[in-house]
Amino acid sequence: MNEMQFLTWVRGTGLNIAVSIFLLGVLWRLVEIYSLGRKKDLSAPRSVAGASGWNTMFRRSVPPKGMGMVKKSPVSYIGGYVFHIGLALIVFLFAPHIKLIESLTGLSWPGLPSQVIDLVSVITIGAMLVVLADRINKPVKRYLSTFEDWFTWLVTFLPVLTGWMAVQHLLLPYTTMLALHILSVELLLIVLPFTKLFHAFTLWGSRYYNGAVNGHKGVAV
Amino acid sequence: MAIGNDKEFKAALAGLPIAKQRQVASRFAQRVFDLSNDVRVKAALEVAGRAEISDAELTVVSAAANTARVESYTQCGKETDWGAQAGLFVAKAAVACVGTPAPGGNLAWDAAMQARMARTCQTVADGSGTENREAEEQYRILDAFLNQ
Amino acid sequence: MSATLEKGIRVLKEVIDAPIASYFNSCVHCGLCAEACLFYTETGDPKYTPIHKLEPLRRVYEQEYTLLGRLAKAVGLAKPVTDAELHEWQELVYNSCTLCGRCSVVCPVGNDIVYMVRKLREGMSASGNAPDGIKGAVNRTVTIGSPMGVKLPAVKAQMKHVEDDYGIPIPLDAEGAEYMVMLSSMEIINFPEYLGAIAKIMHQAGKTWTLCSTAFEATNAGMQIGNSDLARLIVSRIVDGAERLKVKTVISPECGHAYTALRWEGANLIGRPFTFQVKHIIEVLGEFQKAGLLKTEGFETDRLTFHDPCQLARRGGVIQQQRDLMNQVSKNFVEMPDAGFINWCCGGGGGASAIEEGEELRLEAFKKKKSQLDAVKPDRLVTACANCRIVLEEGLEHYQMNIPVVGLTEMIAEHIPEKGA
Repeated sequence: MNEMQFLTWVRGTGLNIAVSIFLLGVLWRLVEIYSLGRKKDLSAPRSVAGASGWNTMFRRSVPPKGMGMVKKSPVSYIGGYVFHIGLALIVFLFAPHIKLIESLTGLSWPGLPSQVIDLVSVITIGAMLVVLADRINKPVKRYLSTFEDWFTWLVTFLPVLTGWMAVQHLLLPYTTMLALHILSVELLLIVLPFTKLFHAFTLWGSRYYNGAVNGHKGVAV
Repeated sequence: MAIGNDKEFKAALAGLPIAKQRQVASRFAQRVFDLSNDVRVKAALEVAGRAEISDAELTVVSAAANTARVESYTQCGKETDWGAQAGLFVAKAAVACVGTPAPGGNLAWDAAMQARMARTCQTVADGSGTENREAEEQYRILDAFLNQ
Repeated sequence: MSATLEKGIRVLKEVIDAPIASYFNSCVHCGLCAEACLFYTETGDPKYTPIHKLEPLRRVYEQEYTLLGRLAKAVGLAKPVTDAELHEWQELVYNSCTLCGRCSVVCPVGNDIVYMVRKLREGMSASGNAPDGIKGAVNRTVTIGSPMGVKLPAVKAQMKHVEDDYGIPIPLDAEGAEYMVMLSSMEIINFPEYLGAIAKIMHQAGKTWTLCSTAFEATNAGMQIGNSDLARLIVSRIVDGAERLKVKTVISPECGHAYTALRWEGANLIGRPFTFQVKHIIEVLGEFQKAGLLKTEGFETDRLTFHDPCQLARRGGVIQQQRDLMNQVSKNFVEMPDAGFINWCCGGGGGASAIEEGEELRLEAFKKKKSQLDAVKPDRLVTACANCRIVLEEGLEHYQMNIPVVGLTEMIAEHIPEKGA
């Protein structure tokens, strides 16, 4: 298979397979998790403004007030924010990506200039490397980490790296680099529903449950 | 006029100077000391019973009595030994005897209450019921002390 | 698989629900929960990381409720949960966790880790892997009615002592009283002054109240060990008593887990809402204060600070009342750092203080509370939980810190003018 055939395959069949597995996987996993249900709380609730599932869903995106958590684990917060925001900016505001989304859904919107995305990519790559180093250095993170942690890091890192390398025309011919980039994205899509990456979908429910249970007691968490 | 009830008892105690309060308090505690037998408690009661006490002495026995007190708590979830639990209240009585009196507080009354509680623990332990004559005994002690 | 391990696994399967599934699938191993847990921060040992304490539960979840997990189990690729592992986990699930809940507050993906530890304890208990100290408490609760073996005659002795000393009668089984007052063993045994304080306060407020001869014990050992059947038994006794006496409100004493067990878990344990209200004594005092029924004289002038019991503040939602009450009788009340609902645990709740082997760890964890006290330098420390009081006193004694500990209800009552004065 030459590089053009490879690229065609990943853009076509490969993408179809990956997106199908992704969509079916997400659906299946959401059902698998949330169909377990939960018992109704029969204790008399308190009602305190700001203490509810919905509040926590969004409030938990920032560190809890007054607990000095960022100082205790700065890379977790700062590195985490930088690479998550970076990923979002790259995925949704890079013109070629917007074109892809348009071809799949019909929706489109203006993107950021490519030099900006270039800078964001470099920062994101840097942040992800720092986050990896932190996982290796911090005793607690190292202790908790399993194969899945390293693997999902790699699976998230490769698309950013290969995408940037493709745009920069680094290492391999563009066609090949692009194909590898798309392939790496397909790998990410396939494993996402079945690994800790699924937190992208479940953290909303988790925060909601937590906030609801505590809100029931009148504690805003 | 013999003391016949707690109101008179408390008032009489409150009227005593601190040194005298310590002395009579140590007598209340001595009555229940056999429920504890802790050497630190013993030391505290001996010091409190004297007419002349230095601050340094008070500090030393106070710290020791406090340790005895903290050590004799029954931990949450442990089986209660009411006999041993009496020791807690004897230690509390000793702490009251040699402690710094709170402004407006009644050091001797506190010690008397703790001593009564120690007696109550003993009656729970031996199943002899809730009636005990500790209060009346304390009135007698105070009467004797005031008239000596 | 031994009979008890089987039972334990079965119980774990039963307690797993959507929240637990959501939590396990959201964890990204960021380790922030460890930074919130005093057993980790004071020892530096990563095994105390809260989410790690749940590893057996996680594997049961994976192997029973996920497709991939079940497949892995079917082809022998899943690591089973063993008796030995649960035994090893005893230290993590009991000695080094007081169910304080700080971990649940910091997790960025929203995991309610303390909720999961509580559930894991059900499996630990059913498989026979709960600590001896708490097992004893549980046995005594079943056979005698109280985890510390306190029987009605002992309660009556305390009542008589308090009646004599305070000159206020203590009602027992008074039907139609507004409040039914519960006690924890700790008060009956260690702090009889608490009952006197209640009597004084109720008397001044002009409220009718009573103790209940069949349900004086609030401490819920079932909740601590993780035995819902036992927890239900204890709650049912209280519910029967409260309904028999037709009281409006049941007052939970200055004991942390008693409140959590009755107020928040109670109705769910018996399967129906309560027909009466449940309030912590501090909540009731707060209400009396707002209604002008708490008339006190004089002020404490020494420097006071307040330790928030975890089950009262963070886990119970009673956060402001204790502060308002402190300000009513203190001229010099200062907050420690991290006061309020993020306060640090004393290190002895959730049954931990009954575990002898855990004492060394508790004393090490106490360094966190020590650091808070070193920062605020109080003359005395006030709190509203009998177990916290003892754990704090032991910690202070160990570190040679001369800071007396007092109970808030007692302190308030001391400022109520004498009867007839």
